[in-house]
Amino acid sequence: MTRPSMALPRRTFLKGAGAALALPWLEAMLPQRLAAASTNPQPIRLAALFMPNGVREDQWTPTGQGSEFALSPTLKPLESFKNDILVPTNLWNQGSDYGDGHYVKTSGFLTCTTINKSLGYDLNSNGISMDQIAARSIAQKTPLPSLELAIDPVTIGVDTNVGYTRVYGSHIAWNKPTRPLAREINPRLVFERLFRINNPSSTNTISDSLLLDRVLADAKQLRRRVGTSDKARIDDYLESVRALERRIEQTSQSAVRSWSPRGEIRPESKPERRPDEHPERVRLMLDMIALAFQTDSTRVCTFMFGNAVSNTNFSFLEGVKGGHHSLSHHERKEENLTQYQRIGQWHIEQYAYLLNKLKSFKEGESTVLDNSMILFGSGLRDGNKHSPHNLPLVLGGRAGGRINTGQHLVYDKDTPLSNLYCCILDAFGAPVERFADSTGKLKGILS
Amino acid sequence: MKLTPTTSTKIITNSSRLACSSFDSLWGIVFILAVLTPDLTASSREIPESNPKKPSEYREFEFIKRYCLECHSGKKPKASLDLSRFDSIDRIVSEALLWDKILIQLGEGDMPPEEANLPTLDERSNFLNWVESSLQKAACQSGPHPGPAVLRRLNRAEYSASVRDLLDIHFDAGEALPSDGSGGEGFDNASETLFISPIHAEKYMDAARVAVEYAFADTRSLRRFLVAEPDEKTPPEVAARRVIEAFLPRAFRRSIPESEILEYLALFHAAYEADPSFTVAIRLTLQAVLISPKFLFIAEEPNFDAKPHKVTDHELASRLSYFLWGSLPDDALLKAANEGNLSDSTILQEQFKRMLGKQNSRKVRNFSQNFVEQWLGTRALGREFKPDKSISGYDSELEGGMKYEPVFFFNEILTKNRSLLDLLKADYTYVNRRLARHYRIKGEFREQPKRVQLTDQNRRGGLLSMAAVLAVSSYPHRTSPVLRGKWILETILGDPPPPPPPNVPELEESESSVSAESLRERLEIHRQDTACAQCHDRIDPLGFGLENYGVLGRWRDKYEGHPVDARGALPDGTTFSGPAELKLALLGRKDQFVRHLTKKMLGYALGRGLTYYDYCVVNSIVDKLRANDYRSHYLLFGIIQSVPFRFKAGIASDEGEHGSTLNQDESIHD
Repeated sequence: MTRPSMALPRRTFLKGAGAALALPWLEAMLPQRLAAASTNPQPIRLAALFMPNGVREDQWTPTGQGSEFALSPTLKPLESFKNDILVPTNLWNQGSDYGDGHYVKTSGFLTCTTINKSLGYDLNSNGISMDQIAARSIAQKTPLPSLELAIDPVTIGVDTNVGYTRVYGSHIAWNKPTRPLAREINPRLVFERLFRINNPSSTNTISDSLLLDRVLADAKQLRRRVGTSDKARIDDYLESVRALERRIEQTSQSAVRSWSPRGEIRPESKPERRPDEHPERVRLMLDMIALAFQTDSTRVCTFMFGNAVSNTNFSFLEGVKGGHHSLSHHERKEENLTQYQRIGQWHIEQYAYLLNKLKSFKEGESTVLDNSMILFGSGLRDGNKHSPHNLPLVLGGRAGGRINTGQHLVYDKDTPLSNLYCCILDAFGAPVERFADSTGKLKGILS
Repeated sequence: MKLTPTTSTKIITNSSRLACSSFDSLWGIVFILAVLTPDLTASSREIPESNPKKPSEYREFEFIKRYCLECHSGKKPKASLDLSRFDSIDRIVSEALLWDKILIQLGEGDMPPEEANLPTLDERSNFLNWVESSLQKAACQSGPHPGPAVLRRLNRAEYSASVRDLLDIHFDAGEALPSDGSGGEGFDNASETLFISPIHAEKYMDAARVAVEYAFADTRSLRRFLVAEPDEKTPPEVAARRVIEAFLPRAFRRSIPESEILEYLALFHAAYEADPSFTVAIRLTLQAVLISPKFLFIAEEPNFDAKPHKVTDHELASRLSYFLWGSLPDDALLKAANEGNLSDSTILQEQFKRMLGKQNSRKVRNFSQNFVEQWLGTRALGREFKPDKSISGYDSELEGGMKYEPVFFFNEILTKNRSLLDLLKADYTYVNRRLARHYRIKGEFREQPKRVQLTDQNRRGGLLSMAAVLAVSSYPHRTSPVLRGKWILETILGDPPPPPPPNVPELEESESSVSAESLRERLEIHRQDTACAQCHDRIDPLGFGLENYGVLGRWRDKYEGHPVDARGALPDGTTFSGPAELKLALLGRKDQFVRHLTKKMLGYALGRGLTYYDYCVVNSIVDKLRANDYRSHYLLFGIIQSVPFRFKAGIASDEGEHGSTLNQDESIHD
């Protein structure tokens, strides 16, 4: 029998690569292309980082307003980025002020809608998330329209107590009201995916397209056979196959490229499969966001530090004993509040880590951070109250100069969160008339 | 302990916005119904003549009048939902789907809204029970009501198992696929939550490539699917045809017309032309099969008739094998389907026994594991649940022992046709070396779980005393009677408490070093608040019955220096002390338990959430179980023989029109 001779870039790569943890980010490694690209307007990136369980409210809000403000204890890790961030106060998510304490506030975080109460059958977010509207506007420009990342697998089961499937608590990105987007939780797989996109092999293109042609034809046959309501499911698969087909064409070396990577990915910087320790997992995922943005593999990303009601054990932090959700029910006891605050602050430290990393990537005269919008937030304020008023939010990066950072902006009580999203979409280059319950754009943000 | 249900307190303190949103969603339902049943709008305008009510029903209609009609009647009823027409049970039954939704809102306390006149918990549950049982009775009388033809993607576990059995490889091909969520009855095989994201095709493509590569490197596996190779007598295309003819029916789980064989042969040819290597071309062909939606989806032929139809024999074979094995049909099952007599009940029973026959079958254990871990929530072990560092003795071997104890135990009940009541109380279990030490069971054990006979002194037996169950119903740092009580209500009795009102802190959650005595005291104080008592009177006393078990289920007589007080009570007031009496008390509710388990199993078997139509089947299976010592095969085979398992409903005839959709095919996807 003839031995297999078909080139398998991924496997070859797997064999050759070591498991180095630190990713080398030397600008010297970047190819010439980047310098050439700098004369053009830089791409704008958007990421939304979701934290479950809210924050200690009396230690979140900065003091002072406008550019004269002092960071709160929880936001202290952002001190060196004070001019790169913007903290909006008094925004709320009206659509999520309903149903239950967590699921509604997670799935609705980026849609600003009220999700259906459902154990699955009529699951519906009743909206498209803000990140996906952005992704749609630049769909053809990068190999991945968007990247969905998380730490925890989808939480199992349905919560018969409140009448929601836990699918809701495990997703923030919706590209259709009935379709939450699957997330990748293994940093190594994300890396391999990005690596393949950035280092395509030309030999496989023909066989891949033969294979996908067959698959598409089968999908069409199946689609003709099934009832109307089921066609949508086949369509979802068709869409998925076409996206893959397009990407292979887009990144293949033989074809005329519409996209080229802005950076180089070194195989030796591949992360471990999936580390056991929470902080390490989070760091690696943030590295992947940075890598994806730096190489322009995608311009839109969402990341969940944890699923709704996450009870991740934070005893790795000095002075913290117990799980995140448990501690968020602090009963106003100082002992609990201290730990709760520490966990919130740790999340901000991770956020600062990402901002720092993006700031270290030079892009012509600016940095990747300058050309990004990195939103950090939670779907509720105080974990003891589960209330979506005055949400804890930070926006980092200037979106290529479109965002006036270095400010603490205090709005009227219960200003729609969707007004912020309108600004973000505008700065991204995907302006919308309205978004969910928006009433306009927030003042003082767009330059 | 005496439990008196308190009256006239509002447990629902949700904001008024809640009411609006609920109205919105109800409005949607009404809209749909209005489209489907043209007479609805007419009937809401004129109130029909009242039928004479039975005296026992009078109270129930009084409920509607008192708690619903203030908003849901008149010229402009809220949510356009006029309930005043429902003055007889016939009228309720005639709009059963609407009432199915109404019951959910009532049951979860979304309705009536806070500012309205609120029923007591008793009134609410009496009304719910009455409507529910009336709907069920009506469903049973109105004949078979299966669900529609199945169309769903294989979930991650099914994908892995199917690829494993198809290629005969010991390799988890689905490992890199995104994890699936759960729907319906709480399982990840529910069609409604098996979404397809843009990332899926890419993942399937990678997985197929790796799996086929793996299979080609294994001579044993090669024999399974590479049934021909080119040689002097056999040209490449002849060998390819044989491979494809053998592979496609197994992969697509049906007989394959010549046209489909030719399509895959064409792919082989094209690949062979590009690179004239048989291996390369046939590998690519097999990869395509594994990415084809015909493999990835369970896709039954829709029934365009108005009446329910039997599923085909091949469809039945797949339903059977994905139910009992979580994988595709084997050759014997396909053969029975090919011969067209699988639906014959003798053959069906033979196949059922064969499939379930071997206790050591990896496939059946897959089923046990998939079902048990999701039903009990023990899949959270090592994932959502990890004990705090302060809880000593947790290591990977103990975690393994804990994880597999309920799986092996349940597997024995299924394969040996034991009583389902063993789940509540049994004198045997399965432990590995580490778990045996944990339970203080003497004997020779290894890393693999082994069956062990229990004595009273072991204080074990049945699910409630299993370490995995006790752990996932605890906080990481200490036990919680509230969580465990809630676990029993939800998982064993199928009677979950309504959610706590918003803005009420969960009293005991964050207490890290509260003593057992003071916890009991605190919970009792908590229940003096009537708002809390309505639910916690049902929850907490159950959980106290398990206080003799620590976070990881280790037995304790004392907790923080005080003797454990494990006195408690069932929601109906039956009192008990300690886990043994708790189990007896639960056995007193065995029908409720078995009914709940039947619902769970039926939902799992059908891969969807149940509707009230299915409850008729549930009841009849429970009747059969009761008459047959609750033996597990009456549950499994009862499901297999049931109408929803063997039939598919018809869909509206216009859905079957192909003409217009053909054009869409070409235009919709670019």
